[in-house]
Amino acid sequence: MENRIENTDETAPVPLQKGTLDANAESSSRTSGNSSRTASLGRFREAALAAIFIAPALLLFGIFLFYPLIQSVYLSLHSTNPRGQVANFVGLANFRNLFNSPGFPNSLMVTLKFILLTVPASLAFALAFAAVCRSRIRGMKIFRFVFALPIAVSVSTGSIMWMVLFHPTLGTLNYFLGKMGIAPVQWLTDPNMALLSISLMTVWMNIGFLFILLLGGMQSIPEEIYESAKIDGSGPVRTFWRLTLPLVSPTLFFASVTSVIGAFQAFGQINILTKGGPVNSTNVLVFKLYEDAFVNFRFGIGSAQALVLFAIVLVITVLQFVVAERKVHYQ
Amino acid sequence: MFACLCMLMVVLTACGGGTGGQSASGNGTADAAPTAAAAGTEGSSDTQTSGEPVKVVWWHAMSGELGTVVDGLVKQFNESQDEVEVEAVFQGTYDESLNKLKTAMGSGTGPTMIQTYEIGSRFMIDSGAITPMQQFIDAESYDVSNLEENILGYYTFDDRLYSMPFNTSNPILYYNKDAFKAAGLDPENPPKTYEEVAEAAKTLTKDGMTGGSFAIYGWFMEQLTANQGAELLNHSNGRDGMADEALLGQPAIVNTLEWWKKMVDDGVMLNLGRKTDDTKKAFAAGQIAMTLDSTASLRGIVKAAEGKFEVGTAPLPKPTEADAGKGGVVVGGASLWILNDRPEEEQQAAWKFIKYLAEPATQAQWHVNTGYFPITKEAYNEDLVKENLEKYPQFQTAIDQLHNSELTPATKGAVMGVFPEARQLTETAIEEALTGTASPQEALDRASAEITQKIQDYNSTVAQ
Repeated sequence: MENRIENTDETAPVPLQKGTLDANAESSSRTSGNSSRTASLGRFREAALAAIFIAPALLLFGIFLFYPLIQSVYLSLHSTNPRGQVANFVGLANFRNLFNSPGFPNSLMVTLKFILLTVPASLAFALAFAAVCRSRIRGMKIFRFVFALPIAVSVSTGSIMWMVLFHPTLGTLNYFLGKMGIAPVQWLTDPNMALLSISLMTVWMNIGFLFILLLGGMQSIPEEIYESAKIDGSGPVRTFWRLTLPLVSPTLFFASVTSVIGAFQAFGQINILTKGGPVNSTNVLVFKLYEDAFVNFRFGIGSAQALVLFAIVLVITVLQFVVAERKVHYQ
Repeated sequence: MFACLCMLMVVLTACGGGTGGQSASGNGTADAAPTAAAAGTEGSSDTQTSGEPVKVVWWHAMSGELGTVVDGLVKQFNESQDEVEVEAVFQGTYDESLNKLKTAMGSGTGPTMIQTYEIGSRFMIDSGAITPMQQFIDAESYDVSNLEENILGYYTFDDRLYSMPFNTSNPILYYNKDAFKAAGLDPENPPKTYEEVAEAAKTLTKDGMTGGSFAIYGWFMEQLTANQGAELLNHSNGRDGMADEALLGQPAIVNTLEWWKKMVDDGVMLNLGRKTDDTKKAFAAGQIAMTLDSTASLRGIVKAAEGKFEVGTAPLPKPTEADAGKGGVVVGGASLWILNDRPEEEQQAAWKFIKYLAEPATQAQWHVNTGYFPITKEAYNEDLVKENLEKYPQFQTAIDQLHNSELTPATKGAVMGVFPEARQLTETAIEEALTGTASPQEALDRASAEITQKIQDYNSTVAQ
């Protein structure tokens, strides 16, 4: 899994380097004489060909990645009028206001809590389900299908489904709680409950993808290893902790990195279920910046938040690679 | 699986109900009904003899049933003449369509006319992207004297009418008459003051029913404030020059929030969150006995309760008996704006359509099918309206409430460019108070300071 991903990343820069090398070679060969002209022409052609091949990718990256990035840096230094047009240059005032107002630190805390509530739980459940479903028992396919099902549900559909479950007076969850004689829970309107409810729904959403990922990771572990462990008298629990877990750790690491990034970017369920409320208790960073930029048309402050979010995700991802990857066992 | 689908369907259709100030939580139910512009009839206009009708694109925010009524009106208009062809396009909630307009401004992809909610008025004027309706009115001495004074009052800024009102509403108290009877209360004498509401809620709370629930919706707070004759903003609610300070921390608003909070704390009023849809459903299911909602929801609420209980309607409550003569309700809803980046010919065509929508017969049809008031007084002479009032006497409450509202800066309503944001902040303050995160005074003071800051930011970016 890891290897494949690194490969796809590397394909882009490789020809680029080659192109510049060729260009250097070409200029040096020109000074040395005419004898190698045909050869250098060939190399030039090759470089040009490479440039043509990466041009579409570069163009797409340029339009959808680099240009917006530069634009958000530009916007973050300006204030905008109600139509969203740049009004004044304000320097770093947007960033200063962010950290001085209570809203942004609150959003940071909420996001952090949201990550802690969703990522470990999603990974644990997916891992447990995958470990159980790895064995080749008759009918296991049905369970695999069931556990992987949430992946087929889009965020908006999932949110609508959970909206029905969470409904304060007509919700399914409160109905069953009532049957058991438990007082109804204000799932989405109680500021102490709302984030927990959203996390519950998110964990359910995440499990499908993580389950498939981890199951795939487990199935790539050679069967002989298990057989020899069995011969050595290792029980299922021990096999899981000492064998499966280390061998699936590259996948687990990948899953944790993407889950953390995904949690940072959670938006759909919050937009549909709570809109950041009540009392901003579910106002995660991405939702807050969406509201600032696209509801209230303050692109300046919205861009500033986007850049801060970018920096945070970058730092955390680097940290994950530096700290957590040490524990990863590559075969 | 089938049951699951059914559940989803119920949710979706219920979402499409549509409420007054808020529109519905828009799902794309209302089809835009694109009308083919290819009808090549001989043009009869004297200046332009192009032969093709002038096409007018109208962005609106009427979802669900309301959207169907809009499409019906557009169809009637298109069939009634062959000079103008209107295409109505549903663009999501008021917030969404306004945001789309902001993005489209100056790009030439915007509509000819747009329906914008009342609190977007200041922004529309300041945007410099519209042709004031007054220009069209003056050009042909169009008579606006038949329009309701209160509605004109809201939409008149600096003695000019910038937009034409279209759908207007106000909030009323809905109550369950059967529950009132069962609890020993007089169903024909609904509570009028805060204290009476609290007492009724207490009596009604029993056997799995709670006294009531108000959605945490900034509009209700604005209305309860105006109903006491109090103003939300300085400079006479922003009607004597641009406002630069919010007045949320004043006693009228704090008392209202304290009253609301006390009922929630006593367990006689439920906090069901911000969605009016949720309170509406709880009311229809007989789980709460009283609720606040827009008149635009009247049709839906009466229909939902049919066969279960009788729905009563009462004017918005006031703090005490002594406040009875003070203030009144602010007109809610939306108005129609013509954008100035479209060709003159197209703007004139839009004006023709707007005149059609303001006609008594059109307004009568609109009123009867939706619950919004007619904007013109003449509509009440239409048989359709008279019959409807006989069948649904509940409509009378809102009409009386509108006519009893004295026109003052308080009831004309506050004007600020950041109104949608101010509403979000007010709603957060109400949540803080109801859930005990902060006292009503603290929460409102904080919201007030934040709104003041946003108003000042706004004023500084709008060139004067």
